[in-house]
Order: sequence, then structure tokens, then C-alpha cells
Amino acid sequence: MRSFIKKDLLIFLRDWKELLTVLLLPIVLVVVLNFAFAGLFDSDDEVTMDLQLAVVNQDNESEVLGQLKERLVHDAAFEEQEAKAVAEAAGEIQPVQLLSDYLESDEVKEWVTVHHLEEKAAAEKVKEGDLDGMLIIPQGYTADSLYANITGEPPTSSLIYKIEEETTTSSALQQFIQGFIEQLNYQFAIQEITDGTGIEAALPNGGLEDIGTAYDFTMTQYFTIALGALFALFVVATVAMKTGVEIRDHIFNRILLANSHPMRFLIGKMAAAVCLIVLQILFVLLVSHFMMGVFPDRSFVFWVGILLMVVLLAFVLSGLAAIYTAVLLRMTSIDAANGIFMLATLLFGTLGGGFFPIYMLPDWLQQIGVWTPNGLFLAILTEWIQFENPSTIVRPSMFMIGFFFLFTFIGLALFPKRGKAQ
Amino acid sequence: MLETINLSKSFKGKKVVQDLNLYLADGESVGLLGPNGAGKSTTISMISTLIKPTSGRITMNGVNAIDKPGEIRRVSGVVPQELALYQELSAYENLKFFGSTYKLRGKELAKAIQQALEFVGLDDRKKDLVRTYSGGMKRRLNIASALLHRPQILILDEPTVGIDPQSRNHILEAVRALNQQEGTTVLYTSHYMEEVEQLCDRLYIMDHGKVIAAGTKEELLRILSTEDKIKVEVNKLDEAFVEQVKTIEGVYKIEVTELQLKIIAAKGTSLISKLVHLTEKHQIQLLNFHTETPSLEDVFLHLTGRTLRD
Repeated sequence: MRSFIKKDLLIFLRDWKELLTVLLLPIVLVVVLNFAFAGLFDSDDEVTMDLQLAVVNQDNESEVLGQLKERLVHDAAFEEQEAKAVAEAAGEIQPVQLLSDYLESDEVKEWVTVHHLEEKAAAEKVKEGDLDGMLIIPQGYTADSLYANITGEPPTSSLIYKIEEETTTSSALQQFIQGFIEQLNYQFAIQEITDGTGIEAALPNGGLEDIGTAYDFTMTQYFTIALGALFALFVVATVAMKTGVEIRDHIFNRILLANSHPMRFLIGKMAAAVCLIVLQILFVLLVSHFMMGVFPDRSFVFWVGILLMVVLLAFVLSGLAAIYTAVLLRMTSIDAANGIFMLATLLFGTLGGGFFPIYMLPDWLQQIGVWTPNGLFLAILTEWIQFENPSTIVRPSMFMIGFFFLFTFIGLALFPKRGKAQ
Repeated sequence: MLETINLSKSFKGKKVVQDLNLYLADGESVGLLGPNGAGKSTTISMISTLIKPTSGRITMNGVNAIDKPGEIRRVSGVVPQELALYQELSAYENLKFFGSTYKLRGKELAKAIQQALEFVGLDDRKKDLVRTYSGGMKRRLNIASALLHRPQILILDEPTVGIDPQSRNHILEAVRALNQQEGTTVLYTSHYMEEVEQLCDRLYIMDHGKVIAAGTKEELLRILSTEDKIKVEVNKLDEAFVEQVKTIEGVYKIEVTELQLKIIAAKGTSLISKLVHLTEKHQIQLLNFHTETPSLEDVFLHLTGRTLRD
């Protein structure tokens, strides 16, 4: 088996044209598209968004001073007078008012329409899709925030952001709320928003979850991942097309005549595809990172997560390579087969957001796009980059594993039985 | 040892090989001769178990090789007409890969590669990529790739197509050495008559998917034992003269090329005196005259009415 893998790797790595295509072209495109789309979003009239947000205020601001003073006395051992003075001083900062001002600011108002609703009504509208999301200010939030700020203890309550399902608009909305959190933190003079003060970073996933710290997800990161995955699809097509050369030159026949089991040939292709895709995507990610600082200040764990996801994608795409190889062995025309692979690559590339940002596509196409291997990979890494929370990527990763088994099964089923290959 | 019985193959209803009966005894060198499209490569593909025959049987030491292709695959090495090589790998890497497909490993594989490279004279270029090789070198490597597992039967399908005379001689010498020194059984297809004459103990002549003659070289030449082939050179030619030569009793066929006549006539025809008489009559000077020994090419021409390269 090792000889089959080594052979495919050597053949690919000695094809300079192919190497330049899959290694350098994506990096060039990341730079070009980054500039192109940055210009697009910098302009005033190109992109508009009307995000509908329900705000449910369960906090009673009139009770804040009393609640805060009581907690300072009971939980932080403040003297009565001291607690009263501190509470009055701290009360100058009104988080709910700040939130309201933030959402009404010119910067945000252009994008977000706020609806002040009761929780039940808001939940229904979110569920029906009338609203993109809802933000709940829980009871005692103001007092708790101020108490946490004064004592340095972690807050016990936080804003609650709820969406029905994750979409691009809901993610954008979340970004705005994150913007508010940062403003609020600034107000509290908290120097770092990621100092691990107990606010959990978690993507809303249909249920009620806290929003917390999140990293920005930039256009450069998007294009680096999307193009890395897109060119991985080209690697798959190339690995399969090399089979065409092996058929045309009767090398495949020579392998059969050696009484070597043809499955070794197929599995060799899959294993070679895994190695090549991992190397290719890591090259694109790392070179882009070192050239443009795509993933600044990220932890070791973050990079391990990236590596795992890349390996997962490589396995999925190796299944696709198995399908392509089997199809090629069944078809009489190698050129026609190669044409089909290129079309499939372009289709996956387009739907999976490889050529332009996926959220520029209609919603129904976005839904389909997430079910392409590269689209799913993009979605997983988008979450990982923002939240670095393993629990949020477990489910989509399971889908990836499912893709691998499905593709491999189809590839094996299509693989011609002895004597049936063209 | 290896035998085909009424072997036939049809593609889309068209029979490309019909009722082929052929056998190879241990250590024999057998030629399969025929023009392009005669069905040689299809026959080779069936014998090597690459394609299944439409009907008929192939047996290897009495075992049905169609049901058990491994019987033949284990002991045979096939040199395809095409250069079945990875152009982006070196000769050594190609041989290492193909050797591993025969389950050769470690020292055994290294030794087999070294022997194969030396055998085809490519040891000094083993690290070069195949795409940098000449056509002849690629052909030699193509053969080396089939020798790694030391096959008992070597099946070569037109292994010298499109190469220089030096490489061609090298290949022919190598195949002869394998047959005569190593005792390897050889099945050699070609449309180069001289190669087959030089290498093979027995011949099968194929045309239009059928074996039209079989036997040793001497046996095949005996087909023409009732004919004489006479070459005549004259100082000028006219149609009336040629027409009168055709009417000579016993003359089967005349080929005219510039100032030369090739005449095939029944043995014993008193051709010389009649030709002299006709040249005098047409005031043509007879420059040269000789009787040729028939070749296998002539046998083929006699059997099919066309030359091997038609």
C-alpha cells in the first residue's frame, strides 16, 4: 500500500504546474479578493442589511441601587455607608441605557431595527422568522454587572441572545451585540475582554445561550479558508485525473496483471489525497497567516483545532477522490470524465463559498452550500475561529465524518469489479 | 503448458478474433505475426487475462485460466505495446513500484530491480525521470518492468515499435537471451517479419482475426515450395511486354517497380527462355536476372494477398 501512496505523491509533487496552481494561486487570490471585497464593503451603497432584533428588558432599573447596596454589604462585607456611596457612584454607568443608546446610534441604526417586546412575543416572532434574533436583559443584570465590576468577581448573569437557527444575518446581529459588550466593557474599564472572567463563549444554536467573548471573523480569514478548501477540491480532481493517465498509458492494466488487488489502487488514491490535501491547505493557511497575519494571537489549541478540521476535510475529500476514480474507471471517455470532475469542482466551489462570500448567495443556496464538503468546512472553521469552543463544532464534525463514510461507500460501490474497468 | 482452444472475441458484434487455437510449450519462443488489425493485441490481452474472451478456453497447465486468472498472472510477464510507465518517476522508482505490485520487498526487490536494469542496459540512467528518456530507452524499461518477478512466460506485444535500430537490437538480443539462457517461454507479436524469423521457433500467422498458418519457419516456407520468385531488371519497360509476360504459362503474379519485375511462377516453369525471347521481341535489354529464395514475407503475401505493412 505504501508504494501506491508514495507513487501518487511523487507524481503530484513533480507536476510543477499543478503545484503552483494549488499552492500559490489560492494565496494570490486571497490577497486579490481580500482587497476587492474590502473595497466593496467600504463603499456606502453596495451592501445593505436590515437586521430585526427584539429586545426584552426584564431588568428593573429602579431597584438597581438597592440591590447593589445590599449585595455589597452582604456579599462583599462593605460598610452600609460605604456601600451606599459606591453604589451611587457606580450607578452612573447604566448598562441597559448604554445598550439602548448603542442600538439607537447612527452607526447601528442603519443596520438594525430594534423591537421592544415581551419575551413570549419576541420568542414567537423569532421562531416564525419575523425577527432575526432576540436579546434578553435578565432580571438583576445591571446590579450584577456593576457588582462584578466593583468587586472583580465574575458576573452571575449575562445578556442572553437567542436565535432560531444560525444564519448569516443572525451572525451579523451577534457581531453588533458583541460590539456593545465591548463598549460596555470599555465603560467598565476592563482591559481585556478575553481574560477568562467566566463569560462563556458559545454560539447560539437554536436554544438559549449566553453570548460572550468572541473573536472577529475577518474577510481575509474567510477567503483563506474558502480558497484553501476550493483548491483542495482541485487536488481531488487532479488525483482522479492522474488515474486517467494511468488508464490511457495502460499502467492500470499492468497493475492488474501483477495480480495486485485493484482495491489497493483505490485506497492508495484515497490515502494520497488525504496527505496532499492536508499539506495543501496547511500551506495556504500558514503562508497566508505569515504574510497577512490572518489569525493573530491565537493559542496552540486553536491551531490544533484547525489541524484536526483540515484532516477531517482531507478524509471527506479522499472519499470524493474514490468516487471520481471509480467513475473514471467506468467511463469510456477520459476527457468526458475529467470534464465532469471540473464541473463538480466548480459547482462545489460556488455553492461552498469558494468564489465569493457565501452570504451573498440567496438563503436557499446558502442552505445547500453548507452541505458541500468545503461549505461545511468553512462553517465549522468560521465557528472555531470566532469562539474556539469544541462543543459547537462537534455536530458539524459528525456530519463531516458522515460525508467521509458516505463518499467512501459510494466510491467502493462504483469501483468496477475485476474485468469491468474500461 | 499454455493453450487456447477456439478462442474468440467480439466487440459490438464484430468478431476480432475467431476460433484461435494456439499453444506454447515450456521454453519455446513463439511468434504471432500479422498486420495491424489482425487481432494480435486482442489475443495477447485475452491470453494475459486482461480481457475475457467471448467464447473458447485458455488453459495453463490444464487449469482454466479464464476462471482463475491468477494461474497465468503469477507466472507471466506482459510487455504491452504501449509504454506503461510513469513518466514523472525515474526508472528506479518505476521498477520499485511495479516490483511492489508483485509483492517483492526489501533486498529481494532491490536485487530484482538491479538485475532488470542491468539486463536492459539502463543501470547508469536509473535515477533519471522516464520523460527524459529516448523512445528506445522507454521500450527497454517497459520490458524491464515485466521481468522483475522472473516470469516463466514473457508475452511481448510489438515491443520494438517506433524505436532506433540500436535499441531494437538490444531488445531482440535480450529476449533471445531470456529464452535461450534462462529458459523463459516467449510469446512475441510483431509485424516485423525479420524479428520473428530471428527470435521464434514457431510462428502463428494471423489475419482478420484468424490463424491462417502455423508451424516452424521451415514448415511455413514449404507452403511456397511449389513456387519460384524471379526478379528481372531491364533497360526499359512497356505495357505490351508486361502483358505478354503475364500470359506465360505458370506465372501467378507480377509486381512492376520502375525497371524491375518480380515474377511469381510455378516451380519448373521454363521462364528464362521465354523471357529472353520476349525481351528480344520487344527490343528490351535484359540487365539482371535472379531467382530469390522465398521468405516468410512471401508466405504472408501468398496467404493474404497483401504485405505485412499494408
